[in-house]
Amino acid sequence: MQKIIFLCLACFISIILPAQHKFTLSGTVKARASGETIIGATIKAGNEGTTTNEYGFFSITLPAGKYKITYGALGFLVFEEELNLDASVTRQIFLDGKNVNLENVVINSSTSTRRSISNPQMGVEKLTTSEIKNIPVLFGEKDILKTIQLLPGVKSAGEGNSGFFVRGGSGDQNLILLDEAPVYNASHLLGFFSTFNSDAIKDMALYKGGMPAQYGGRLSSVLDIKMNDGNNQEHQASGGIGLISSKLNVEGPIKKGKASYLLTGRRTYADQFLRLAKDSAIKNNTVYFYDLNTKINYEIDKKNRLYLSGYFGKDVLKLGNIFGINWGNATGTLRWNHVFNDKLFSNTSLIFSNYNYQINIKAGADDFTITSKIEDWNIKNEYQWYANNKNTVRFGINAIHHTITPGNVTAKDTSGSINNSNLQNRYSFENAAYISNYWRASKKINLTYGMRLTAFSILGGGNFFNYNADGDVTDTIKTQLNSIVKTWINAEPRISLSYIINPQVSVKAAYVRNVQNLHLLSNSTSSSPTDKWVASTNVIKLEISDQVSVGYYRDFAEGNYELTVETYYKNMLNQIDYRDGANIYINSDAIESQLLFGKGRAYGIEWLLKKKSGNVTGWISYTLAKTEKKINGINNNKWYNARQDRTHDIAIVASWQVSPTWNLSANWIFYTGDAVTFPAGKYKVEDFTVFYYTERNGYRMPAYHRLDIGATKILKQRKKFTSELNFSIYNAYARENAYAINFRENKTNPEITDAVRFSLFKLVPSISYNFKF
Amino acid sequence: MRLNYFKIFFWLLVVLLTATSCEKVINVQLKDTEKKYVIEGIITNNGRAKVIITQTGNVSDPLVFNGVTNASVTITPTGMATQTLQATSAGIYEANFLVPAERNYTLQVSIGGQQFSASCYMPSQVPVDTVFTTTEQFIGDPQILPNILYLDPVKPGNAYKQALWVNGVKIRQIYISNDEYSNGRQCNDRLYIIPDEDEDNSTIPVIKPGDTLTIEMNCIDPVIYKYWFSLQRSALGSNEQATPANPVSNIQGGALGYFSAHTIETITYKVPR
Repeated sequence: MQKIIFLCLACFISIILPAQHKFTLSGTVKARASGETIIGATIKAGNEGTTTNEYGFFSITLPAGKYKITYGALGFLVFEEELNLDASVTRQIFLDGKNVNLENVVINSSTSTRRSISNPQMGVEKLTTSEIKNIPVLFGEKDILKTIQLLPGVKSAGEGNSGFFVRGGSGDQNLILLDEAPVYNASHLLGFFSTFNSDAIKDMALYKGGMPAQYGGRLSSVLDIKMNDGNNQEHQASGGIGLISSKLNVEGPIKKGKASYLLTGRRTYADQFLRLAKDSAIKNNTVYFYDLNTKINYEIDKKNRLYLSGYFGKDVLKLGNIFGINWGNATGTLRWNHVFNDKLFSNTSLIFSNYNYQINIKAGADDFTITSKIEDWNIKNEYQWYANNKNTVRFGINAIHHTITPGNVTAKDTSGSINNSNLQNRYSFENAAYISNYWRASKKINLTYGMRLTAFSILGGGNFFNYNADGDVTDTIKTQLNSIVKTWINAEPRISLSYIINPQVSVKAAYVRNVQNLHLLSNSTSSSPTDKWVASTNVIKLEISDQVSVGYYRDFAEGNYELTVETYYKNMLNQIDYRDGANIYINSDAIESQLLFGKGRAYGIEWLLKKKSGNVTGWISYTLAKTEKKINGINNNKWYNARQDRTHDIAIVASWQVSPTWNLSANWIFYTGDAVTFPAGKYKVEDFTVFYYTERNGYRMPAYHRLDIGATKILKQRKKFTSELNFSIYNAYARENAYAINFRENKTNPEITDAVRFSLFKLVPSISYNFKF
Repeated sequence: MRLNYFKIFFWLLVVLLTATSCEKVINVQLKDTEKKYVIEGIITNNGRAKVIITQTGNVSDPLVFNGVTNASVTITPTGMATQTLQATSAGIYEANFLVPAERNYTLQVSIGGQQFSASCYMPSQVPVDTVFTTTEQFIGDPQILPNILYLDPVKPGNAYKQALWVNGVKIRQIYISNDEYSNGRQCNDRLYIIPDEDEDNSTIPVIKPGDTLTIEMNCIDPVIYKYWFSLQRSALGSNEQATPANPVSNIQGGALGYFSAHTIETITYKVPR
């Protein structure tokens, strides 16, 4: 069977070079101190080169001969070795961390990974935890989701919010993966924190366009976050004490060099602050969240390695004893890396993901609980075949079973006023097969081309409905459990190309189609933990996007500066919005009755100038963009600005290493206000002032800008113990940015309408203490 | 669903946010638009019909009552004679006639050649069993809150609207509920009073022992429930619960407002000392 597959693959690869004396250098690149595998480490041999994959594995095939091989990675010293390649070899490379001695704190461009001029992959942003370490953030809580909002093409969902929009897409169009497991609600505490504890994170990559074929299921972006594996050399503990939360990370070998564990926890104590409030009622409320990241990995032998990782997080919010809500994600990933030979690497993953919430209400005769969840079981099998030095093929299959429990109401007391009711569970099955080839076609041209074939099946068990134009049910379709109600098959071509003009300059172009099967329904303009995930049904069609992008890449001053300019146009089909007066919490399975469907388009241009080395590092990003929707039933069926439409978006991020122990940092953000709906008139109904609206999102919030500053002082830096203090001020010049503008009656004269601007967070100082031993 | 809970939830979020926030009245330039007719039509089973016709005003201008005088207004109960409403003052049209429940009513309004119509079903009356008060603390100081008990009919599709006066002062809040999650049950609607954020200058009454409460209970058409639901969420000037939009109206022809045929029951209750 495998032979047949390979025969097929051989046909897929464009050029198979005639056999000559060629040998393969393969292996793994790891950090010496921790034994962690390094993602994206570069391996150079003369003019040829490669990078390690997400498990630190690499393979490069070269003609026989003598080579000087250089291994490098961001934050590590370069390692060089002479190699006489007269047979295929497997190497295990250990790189020394740069912070071993203090003189090396300054980032040196030769040791950092540069963005690849030659790789056809475009629209990708990569950040490591060390890069985000010094960027000041709200409450001093390092947050990967907030940091990516400083990159071009990525917009924040609001003040201090961890939600984000990529290239005009909505929040649910981002595929957020933690160790391959999709995270359905990546925010804590009304969005002010993300579920990703930066202490547990090794690496992240954000794909805004040109998504590789192994990713699918969301229209706008893929945020692929990898957790640390755990130090397999020595036991280590680190932690931090901040204003809002404290965290602790422990890791160490289970069997030295072979197996390790990692355990990272974080809990907020915002509720302790509530206790200090003068309002006795605020005191009685509870607000907190916690996160737990765990991972175990075991290197069985040189060819096999197992990883088991898990994430558990929970938010608890209680209003006295009347109202309570808790929500959280749980994910688990079991992975098996297997190296078939020096050219073929495989990974098999079994993935579980669950998001649920529970609402408890106890008020008089109303005493009940509402529960809702989405649960995935997911199996993935992927191969990376380093066919020759011109072609690297990646192919695999993926099957996901989704179960959505939209809402079950359980009364505590059967004599109360609430009936038990269960909305139908919705089941669906998502299958995909993909293949792509990275083809180094010539010295000038590199190409990645591939195809993702997806089949999305709605599984039966319950009723489906047809509707008329007003959203009223016209007929009911009864289905059997596990029968296939409908299957959509889609081919998603993925192609990207780079043309190297000279070693400092390249241009790239990409086309990608993405298909989305799960959609998040949110009744309000801000996100809520009770927003509903729905799978496509006979009425809710798959969302489809086509994106073309073109980019220009240039390195200056020996790679110390990088300029990236990308432009894109994205067309989106089957976009969802809500009918006026929609209620997504109706006690009915006919959720489609609340929805409208239409299309969207987004286009823009993004500039990013990055300074990669020296005492001062940072970047300037600027995005000019437009996002619109056209949905029949909204805005008189005309195109209107999407809520996430912002014309200009600027971020300046700078970090200055003043001395080996002092680091100062700052970022400044400016953006055009969000598109917003304001009233066109007003009138009285009963004794309420009611507003009259004529157009959707026809106005703009005021422009937003803000400066954050931060300082980090290393208190102690020894081999056995490191500690540092971190200060930051969010919104340092106390700009009153508009979070919301509400219209309401004037207190003294109700005939007059006041436009009231709400501002959050001005001048929020914070301090945190971090340690490691 | 007892909608109030979600409202309270959103309100809690606002309170949490405002802990660090500040608010300021600002100047927003709004485009003026054409005036639109607003029809607020009510017919109740005590035989009263009242239709108020006004026009919208600019947001930046004071909201003064500008009644539309030249309208002809009729109401037709299904299977009964059409009744013409008489103008009692500028923009107010009234009539008294026999109004049975469990019947459909059609409103016709004609203003200078423009025709508007609406139809609404008056459901059967569901009597209030008891009114009582409970003391609750959910935010601020403990509050005395009125409760209404009634038995929801076995047949699904009932909706209710209540109004509350404390010593004759109306609580400006929309109380609506339906039997979506409580069909056929003994229902307990608690009329929450969301206090003013600015406690010291609050104009919202606080219920004290000895106060006289007046509660009006209406049984409404689900269409009217939808009107008030959408008005409350999206047309009161904020976008916290939903994208701002006009309420879902049952009036055809392009006017704002609603036409509701509903039953009415008024209960007076003295809070025990």
